[in-house]
Amino acid sequence: MTRWAMVIDLDKCVACQGCSIACRFENNTPPVKPSEALKGRAIRWNDVFPFPTNPLEADAGEYPETKQRYIPRPCMHCENPPCIKVCPVQATFKNEEGIVQQNYARCIGCRFCTVACPYGVRYFNWQEPEWEGTLNEHLNPDRIEGPGDLEGPAVRPKGVVEKCTFCIQRLQKAVARAEAEERDFDPVDYQPACVQTCTGKARYFGDLDDPESTVSLFEKSPRAFRLLEEVGTHPKVIYLREG
Amino acid sequence: MKPLSRRQFLKVSATAAGTTAVVGGLQAALNATPVGAGSSGWLTPVGEEHIVTSVCSLCPAGCGLLGRVVDGKLVKLEGNPMHPVNQGSLCPKGQAAPELLYNPDRLTGPMRRTGDRGSGQWELVSWKEAINTIAQKLNDLRAAGHPEQAAFLYGETRGQMRPLIERFMQAVGSPNAISHDSLNIEAVKLAMLYTQGVYDLPAYDIENSQYILAFGANLLEGGRNPQRTIIGQSYFRRGRANRGKIVMIDPRQGITGAKADEWVPIKPGTDAALALGIANVIIRAGLVDSDFIHNYSFGFENFKDSKGKKHKGFKDFVLDNYTPKKVEAITGVSATTISRLAGEFAGHAPQAIAMMPGKGGLLNGSITGLYAAMAVHILNALIGSIDAPGGVQVQRYFPCAEWSPMPTDPIAEKGLATGRLDGAGTVFPLGKHAYQAVADRILAGQTVGALFLYDANPVYEVPGGQRFVEAFKNVPFIVSFSSFMDETAQYADLVLPEPTFLERWQDDAIEGLGYPGVGLRQPMVEPLYDTMNTGDVLIKVAQAMGDPVAKAFPWAGFEELLQERLKTIGTDWDTLKELGAWFTPGYRFARRGSKKWVEEVVGKDRASAPRDGRFDLYSRELSCALSNLSKEELAALGINKSGDAPFLPHQEDLTYAGDEAEYPFHLNVITLMSLGPYSVAANMPTLQEISGMTVGEMWDSWLEMNPETARELNLRDKDMVWVESPFGKLKTKMRTVPGLRPDVVNLPHNQGHKAIGRWAKDRGVNGLEIINPASEPATGLASMTNTRVKVYRA
Repeated sequence: MTRWAMVIDLDKCVACQGCSIACRFENNTPPVKPSEALKGRAIRWNDVFPFPTNPLEADAGEYPETKQRYIPRPCMHCENPPCIKVCPVQATFKNEEGIVQQNYARCIGCRFCTVACPYGVRYFNWQEPEWEGTLNEHLNPDRIEGPGDLEGPAVRPKGVVEKCTFCIQRLQKAVARAEAEERDFDPVDYQPACVQTCTGKARYFGDLDDPESTVSLFEKSPRAFRLLEEVGTHPKVIYLREG
Repeated sequence: MKPLSRRQFLKVSATAAGTTAVVGGLQAALNATPVGAGSSGWLTPVGEEHIVTSVCSLCPAGCGLLGRVVDGKLVKLEGNPMHPVNQGSLCPKGQAAPELLYNPDRLTGPMRRTGDRGSGQWELVSWKEAINTIAQKLNDLRAAGHPEQAAFLYGETRGQMRPLIERFMQAVGSPNAISHDSLNIEAVKLAMLYTQGVYDLPAYDIENSQYILAFGANLLEGGRNPQRTIIGQSYFRRGRANRGKIVMIDPRQGITGAKADEWVPIKPGTDAALALGIANVIIRAGLVDSDFIHNYSFGFENFKDSKGKKHKGFKDFVLDNYTPKKVEAITGVSATTISRLAGEFAGHAPQAIAMMPGKGGLLNGSITGLYAAMAVHILNALIGSIDAPGGVQVQRYFPCAEWSPMPTDPIAEKGLATGRLDGAGTVFPLGKHAYQAVADRILAGQTVGALFLYDANPVYEVPGGQRFVEAFKNVPFIVSFSSFMDETAQYADLVLPEPTFLERWQDDAIEGLGYPGVGLRQPMVEPLYDTMNTGDVLIKVAQAMGDPVAKAFPWAGFEELLQERLKTIGTDWDTLKELGAWFTPGYRFARRGSKKWVEEVVGKDRASAPRDGRFDLYSRELSCALSNLSKEELAALGINKSGDAPFLPHQEDLTYAGDEAEYPFHLNVITLMSLGPYSVAANMPTLQEISGMTVGEMWDSWLEMNPETARELNLRDKDMVWVESPFGKLKTKMRTVPGLRPDVVNLPHNQGHKAIGRWAKDRGVNGLEIINPASEPATGLASMTNTRVKVYRA
């Protein structure tokens, strides 16, 4: 089987937010009005933010001994995703390759999942998405259909929850491309937009079930950790710590 | 010759592999579906789809782009993996660039003012009429015998546009082609000239380096070439067996300081002293590269000139004046830290770099900014890292085809013999450009008959930019080539919108990697509106002016000019279009003292001092420029030290606008990764949304302050405050930031616009409005960092 996973090397990440914006333009997440954004309703599947420092830690001290850390946060695509368990209509599900998907057509907007997710990476559409004037010309036209109707970058309506899909349309395209070229699908042909654009080359993507893949090798690194490992979600996004 | 590294080899072989394979690779890089694919039933084919290469223009880095164009619309941008600067990656500005192309606030055609200046009343005109109007105006100036009254202000302006503008002005007969370099990078270029004798920005071999002392060089956010330095530092950190160390020397920690291994919060404006303190330790510890110092540098030891006069050398000057104890008192950096940094730096010689800032940082508004950059660069010389692997390189460029000779034209010759409008070379003896001073010079009585603004928004981007609005009242004819109705275009008589960089032809020299290369900007989509590339406009204006000016512009258009000029780079036009970039990878280091060393690495741009391949620790070029001046004249230029000191880098007394007792804080206007340095980015909603990530702000300005200082002022995080300098006051939100010196406050750049568009306008404040509008008297640089402010509750 294939288990898609991502590695983010925080030693190379420079908090540029290229990943956030690459994601927006690949997946058509709408820019929200400033007043909405200030309420915390901005939709960036892959947000970057200053990591809350533990005041008890030595390096979080007072000037000049300060240290600030930044962390990018996509969906963790947990092996054991809490969001799925709370969904009353099974709008969110994990596919056979480990990607946690959202079926926008099924979603009733109850937002149980946004609360259940310990990482806060599920986003509710509080408003009808809107691109002012000619801005909608750049929307990604890719459409995919499958068990989760209208996944991919199709514009989501008001009232549904959306989330990172590891750019599943890119996987579909890579598979289609391999088919068209009459060859086996090669995992290196598939890269989410955030991985591709990463300015610090800090992101790696691949198959955790392949022991030779880059992500499998990094998983064994002494620098590797996952967010909130103790809550038992088993994330498939693996961080490498700084220093 | 140095053997090629594996990485360079891969690049070479990729270049050699030919275009077919490469284009296939580019298609894959963008995940583009070949037409007809998608038969699996999962994927709905979306239409005719292709990939176009281009080069980004939202900061000076010039990253390669791949655009995914579906049914004639640009739907996604990626980094071009064939472009050596970004190697496939792209920052948020580049990613968001479709918002620039499809921005609803773009200008849709050439316009002529109908109401009063600034009243916002316009009518559309035809391009022919606009071009004839300009040609007529310039011919009138020439007929009156004053072609020098035409002036051209331009911004970053990459590739052939810069020489084209210069050639245009030369043909018209005006010396006034004035670059905005004096707002940012000029101090570094001058420091290179006065030490290494090369008038250009240095390139740094970050990949092979072990140790970087970054003096105010904002590597990861708003530097000159952030994408190149980010990729460099990734490799420096994790791409090889041993991890390099970065020390960030800056009053503000920022992202660069947070990511660096060590942050040294230095007192603002004292970088020269710190660099010389480090030099002092290196010299005393005997860690200098004695081969370099004794055979390839000038002025280390005391010397006698041709007249037998004794001069003090760099060594004795630094040993006498900049002991770590003295430097500690000036800079606030402890003597032990200074000694340790010196030991670490010299211990990694020659794979160590002392980096000058790309922008800001050292530009102190007095000549200390220049001396500081010189002092920092001299550290590289002391340890012999000039043109050494892991050290400093000299940027090379592809030779372009020669321009045809200019026609003889007595009117132009007379005009060109006059002094510059901005005072560069006259009022500012060391200056090459003094962009911000143009307003002062016009207000002081200089006559300007026609003013052109390309990629230039001085009303916004210059400290005290409102001076330009005043100055414009004395200018009868103003033309702006802006794609948006920016603060300056509002006051123009003609606005001739240029297509955005995603719709036009332009070349772009690759900088920051040492080796020569060129990127090509080409239209990804058909121009959306009735716009014209300014290169084409200038050629058409020249041709409409008739001979002799027209003779200098034989091309049918800018694209033809590009093809002609770039035919010498070693590839054909079609390949360049296909790949988006062409370069000769692998920097070739010069052997010390060789012919190449003398001709390319040390001394090539010196005007007066000998081009002898010696790196100046005692600047002979400065000595030629300044030695005839009396003590009073030097003092007027801000140089209060006498004897040999003016020609040696040293710490001058800091001069500030604003008395310390009344205005206790240094104001620093910082460039963000998100909004970048250029005005148009402020009108991209996605970039506004992410602009304040570090403090959790968005769509607004904020003032950064140390939390302890805020407590002393009885202010809490998120309180509204007034920031007041002797030049004005601004109201904004205060945010506490622990990684900041208590005596410094920061305002982010690129907010507080009064125009441009719906997302930029009336949002936050523009810190430059309250920055000292004076120009630095010796070099004509803008005084970006010598303003003091007070902060109080609003």
